[in-house]
Amino acid sequence: MLLKNQTSSIISTYAADVSGVCSALFEMGGMTVMHDASGCNSTYNTHDEPRWYDTDSMVFISALTETEAIMGNDNKLIGDIIDAACQLSPEFIAIAGTPIPMITGTDFSAVARVVEAQTGIPSFGFDTNGMHSYLLGASAAFTAIAEHMVDTDLEKSKNLSVNILGTTPLDFSVNSYLGSVNAWLAAQGFEIIGKWGVGARLCDIRRAKSAHVNLVMSSCGLEAARTLRRRFGTPYVIGIPINGKFSDSLAFALKSAATTGECEKAYHTDGGSDTIIIGEAVAAGCIKDAAYKKYGIKMHVLCPPDTDYEVLPCDSQALGGENITRRILASAKRIIADPLYMPICPETAEFIPLPHEAFSGRIFRESIPDLMKTF
Amino acid sequence: MIKIAIYGKGGIGKSTTVSNMAAALAEKGLTVMQIGCDPKADSTANLLNGKKMNTVLDLIRTRGNDFELDDMIKTGYNGVLCAEAGGPAPGRGCAGCGIIAALEKLEEKGAYDKYSPDIVFYDVLGDVVCGGFAMPMRRGYADRVFVITSGENMSIHAAANIATAIDGFRDRGYAELGGIILNRRNVKHEFEKVAELAEDIHSRTIGTIDRCDLVQSAEDIGKTVIEAFGSNSFANQYRALADNILNICKGDYENADKT
Repeated sequence: MLLKNQTSSIISTYAADVSGVCSALFEMGGMTVMHDASGCNSTYNTHDEPRWYDTDSMVFISALTETEAIMGNDNKLIGDIIDAACQLSPEFIAIAGTPIPMITGTDFSAVARVVEAQTGIPSFGFDTNGMHSYLLGASAAFTAIAEHMVDTDLEKSKNLSVNILGTTPLDFSVNSYLGSVNAWLAAQGFEIIGKWGVGARLCDIRRAKSAHVNLVMSSCGLEAARTLRRRFGTPYVIGIPINGKFSDSLAFALKSAATTGECEKAYHTDGGSDTIIIGEAVAAGCIKDAAYKKYGIKMHVLCPPDTDYEVLPCDSQALGGENITRRILASAKRIIADPLYMPICPETAEFIPLPHEAFSGRIFRESIPDLMKTF
Repeated sequence: MIKIAIYGKGGIGKSTTVSNMAAALAEKGLTVMQIGCDPKADSTANLLNGKKMNTVLDLIRTRGNDFELDDMIKTGYNGVLCAEAGGPAPGRGCAGCGIIAALEKLEEKGAYDKYSPDIVFYDVLGDVVCGGFAMPMRRGYADRVFVITSGENMSIHAAANIATAIDGFRDRGYAELGGIILNRRNVKHEFEKVAELAEDIHSRTIGTIDRCDLVQSAEDIGKTVIEAFGSNSFANQYRALADNILNICKGDYENADKT
């Protein structure tokens, strides 16, 4: 039986980096091309993209052939992208790698430079290879937008304002939660400038500089937030609102950051409990804090691979392979996790399902909670 | 920081020439880093008294990411900073991807930031046989590529092939071809043949190293000519070549010795 690190024989795996790129950019009006035969496309649109059938986007697969891969024929890829771009006039072009071009050493930054030079359309290359989690791909995509697509000649908004960063459906699905977040921000007196993820409009994202503060709602949005801070001095707060007192402290942190210019992580509770939560670091960290505030429960947090160190909650760790995770879970009394983790949880532990689209795709989508209503 | 990639047919004397140039520039007080980009991992041996060192890919293979920058770098003769990319076991895996992974790891661990070398040499295996072996000429790596050849036909063909690769990348912002280094094998019409190559690829011969037994003698004791026979006039050929390359990379070809 294969029980090595970084393998999964029973449980699922997280969506791959290339899906992260596509998901982050899906609604921004750009054209995203996965350089692959076809498998990455079907994985993305079947499992990782709930917006596929009802939201227009320009996500393509290059239909890489065996001969083109062996011969390193980048010109076919470049030519096809330029042809498509001439017909579709995208706002930008993103080219993302997959395992095959990684093996042949394709230089996606160079391909993007050639495409940009010939089309005049801003183009980005991403060295994704399907071997990292969606966090890295989505993070790289948002960061490229923060670096290259934001207008520099804007003043701060007259109203207290915020950008929401890192809200892909891989972490937040497409239920009512993000609508609840928008309403909550409005109730706190914030004008939302740009939504980086679900509900994105590039015209709004271009105005990111005018926001007073950025709300980083997942690990995917952190590097973009750092980029916006470096370029424009905008502070960021890491956290997601959750029904109850925790949201009050998040709102306070946002207003405070907008005034002082200091960045903050909104979750601080210690761990040291036999309750384990598995999930994206920001969401899990906030649930941990909110649970302590509301129920006095402390938790240990397990996060997906490739999570940025800065967003890790206290008493947390990144997930290793299935056997390592199983060992960590063995002594837990209560486990909050995606239902696909259940087979490696001890039968003695209470299991509370918390579906995560990046882990189980559409299977449990209907039961993903709106944390502003059901916590 | 000036970054230079050296290409050429296998066995033409790339590592010998690069190591001697590195030693010569270090003699002048410059901080030099030499990165071997060959699974054989023998580029820097003559700067390390003939000893091989841990390769970057060996470290990745055995320790994952649990190692420090200093584990990848050894200090050789006159302070030359030595690194070897390494590669997969012979006949397995993908050496080109190994080069990419190793160079990315060196950058990720801060090799260029921490040591701030004045000169970085990438000593690249043979021909540009796949995307991985073009890595050292990508943007952010070498500024200039120099190709070593003799007057032997196979060597000239390899040099022409490398020049074709560089030309094919001209719209990508990759390194430019800096020139040809003639490492003499004393074949018939050697100068003329290499001059013809230079004309064909729209380049120039920027230095010549004569064939000399001192190279072998130095290698037999695990040293460069600069270290073992530094006072011999032959060592001055490497010093002159290193100076020429430096001047060319500084955009000062007028001061380069064109003889």
